[in-house]
Amino acid sequence: MNNQYGEAQDEATVVGFEVPRSPDASYNNVYPGNEDEGREPPMVPPHLQHTLLNCPSRDPSGSLPLPQNVILNHLYIENREGPRSVVALGTTHRFRSKCVTVMLYKPVQRRGNSST
Amino acid sequence: MIPAFFSPETPGRSNMDVDNDPFHRLVASPRMSQADIELSRNRISVFLSTHTAYELLPDSGKVIALDVNLPVKQAFHILYEQGIPVAPLWDFSNGQFVGVLSALDFVLILRELGNHGSNLTEEELETHTISAWKEGKLHLNGQIDGNGQLIPRRLIHAGPYDSLRDVALKLLQNKISTLPVVHSSSQDGSFQQLLHLASLSGILKCICRNFRHSSSSLPILQQPICSIPMGTWVPKIGESSGQPFAMLRPNASLSAALSLLVQAEVSSIPIVDDNDSLVDMYCRSDITALAKDRAYAQIRLDEMSIHQAVQLGQDGASPYGFFNGQRCQMCLRSDPLHKVMERLAVPGVRRLVIVEAGSKRVEGIISVSDVFKFLLS
Repeated sequence: MNNQYGEAQDEATVVGFEVPRSPDASYNNVYPGNEDEGREPPMVPPHLQHTLLNCPSRDPSGSLPLPQNVILNHLYIENREGPRSVVALGTTHRFRSKCVTVMLYKPVQRRGNSST
Repeated sequence: MIPAFFSPETPGRSNMDVDNDPFHRLVASPRMSQADIELSRNRISVFLSTHTAYELLPDSGKVIALDVNLPVKQAFHILYEQGIPVAPLWDFSNGQFVGVLSALDFVLILRELGNHGSNLTEEELETHTISAWKEGKLHLNGQIDGNGQLIPRRLIHAGPYDSLRDVALKLLQNKISTLPVVHSSSQDGSFQQLLHLASLSGILKCICRNFRHSSSSLPILQQPICSIPMGTWVPKIGESSGQPFAMLRPNASLSAALSLLVQAEVSSIPIVDDNDSLVDMYCRSDITALAKDRAYAQIRLDEMSIHQAVQLGQDGASPYGFFNGQRCQMCLRSDPLHKVMERLAVPGVRRLVIVEAGSKRVEGIISVSDVFKFLLS
């Protein structure tokens, strides 16, 4: 890193242990090409399929089975075909020793229309 | 407080919707001492003060929230599909929960549509957002403060470390049935984390769980509810409560039911036949059944009877099938308080109708807020 303020600081330096400047050649890396963008993104790890959001909650109190730790703090979006005006987002998070699954319904902004 | 006295007189019954039938016989009940009442109240108060809202959370719970800019129409579809009566409202522009949307809001919207023959065109109804409705409600009648909070006002909520007593008092004082339990990890209240929707039923469940095996520590638990000044009873001669007991016949119009719900500030109305026997209940939360198949766009409130409205939500179940299900929970006036409390502690059961054994004639209603008003006063 270009430590332009380094000289202004009054730090004690030990002879022989001064931090060398980075060589200018190290700033000549090429920008990444487009071949990386052609590839598919990596597959979603299969354990994330076990989200509680797909559980129908039979219990009127809204209780769900305990989640596996691996699905906590991941944001899910509802997978529904076709144009829709409302989308559901969901996540399961932990508060102390209790887990809470929160679903949020959000309007979808239509492209080209004024927002409702 | 003195237990209610009953007059043994038996005058003729009126045929009006609001019933004035007094009790027919004297009920002999052990008198409860004031000391017993105070002891029980103190014990419960101590329990509620030393436990927090965190205990209301199930080990793995679910809460559904709505964006405040959702069209009202879609919001009610969601409430109906998910089977929930109330949902907190999230405002993305300021990253906060700003209120709740409840069945009462829907009742008010329908009444407004009915009254003005729809100030809103069909197209406006499609896009009328929750936030626009809440603002309009502010201008319309600032007096009404049922389940919905008005946006400029602060959201009524509780934190997970608030005591159960504070949560119960907040619910009672604001006359609401649910409030969001929200945790904020920063000092200024931002980064809100929605944890749970707290209700009096849930708090009652905690009380029952705690005192179930030590019922002798709460003497009033063994008392029959008729001997406790709790709940709303059909008016008797000698009592000057003055508050009419709200009941309706099955062929009463839906608009009459909705008006009664709003004006009497109750959350449910017993539906009775000509003998004043209970046949069903119309609850404020039943209003979301109108979202089914867009019924509310097609009905006229004064042309649909409450019997039909109830059938909408039943999917063709027999009108008397409700006795087996959760729809209408009944109890007897001789039932002890602990039994009534256990039944009210089930989420979704907010009131029990007190009926006469056999004839199912309605004698009163006891709701979960009645229990708390008595316990916390």
